[in-house]
Amino acid sequence: MLTEIQEGKALGPVVKHITQEKINLYAEASGDFNPIHVDESFAAKTPLGGTIAHGMLSLAYVSEMMTSVFGQSWLSGGKLRAKFKDSARPGDTLTIAGSVLCIDKKSDVSYANCNFECHNQKGETIVTGEAIVKLVNGKK
Amino acid sequence: MPDKAIGYAELASGYKFPPATFELSASFVSKYLRAVDGSGDGFVPPLAITACAISAMTKAVPLPPGTIAIHAGQELEFFRPVPIGATIDCHIGVAQKIARGKMSMLVLDIEILDKGKEKVQSGRATIALPT
Repeated sequence: MLTEIQEGKALGPVVKHITQEKINLYAEASGDFNPIHVDESFAAKTPLGGTIAHGMLSLAYVSEMMTSVFGQSWLSGGKLRAKFKDSARPGDTLTIAGSVLCIDKKSDVSYANCNFECHNQKGETIVTGEAIVKLVNGKK
Repeated sequence: MPDKAIGYAELASGYKFPPATFELSASFVSKYLRAVDGSGDGFVPPLAITACAISAMTKAVPLPPGTIAIHAGQELEFFRPVPIGATIDCHIGVAQKIARGKMSMLVLDIEILDKGKEKVQSGRATIALPT
């Protein structure tokens, strides 16, 4: 229930392991076959030194976390702003977590202001950002 | 999908790509959920919809061979849940093209509409490219 959403509430964590197979699956699903994601020999010769996951794959995990907490309110009144700080690579384990910073009330509508971060197993920040969710009718 | 590609050098602020249409079929959603380790809830995951727009964008902006395009930032707003089987139209335009030293930043506005012309999502993607 969204009535349980309060300032300070922890979001997540969601933990995901990145593999080249998952990156390839994401490329097939999304249609984004940029060689930096799927061509290991090409990627090895670039300054990145190897393939990287699509930024939108990491962001999909953020959205999964938000959907698990806010349900349909996320789908019909969610807003996010994300910065991709570093690349997720095959072999990485990503941990996505966040918190509700504050609840703003405007007329009869409440908005949950949240932050989120995605780190790899070395503690390096992969994605950071903020999200706002319009809370409707006290229900998910 | 856009049927005619434009050269990267020709892109300028205000340019609108031809709209791209996608059917969000059950098989597409299933493939997407498998890729992101997700579980379905009867609606199309919002980031699956965004992925269609990003895909349209990457196909519409032909980069010179060997160019690495890095997704640097993403803003999104979701307006309504989208049922599986729906068809969407992705409208993408160039908001800004900025050259910074050896890097170029392309800022793209994204608007996604359903068949009833109702807004489903809007957003802004920032792409960094070495020049």
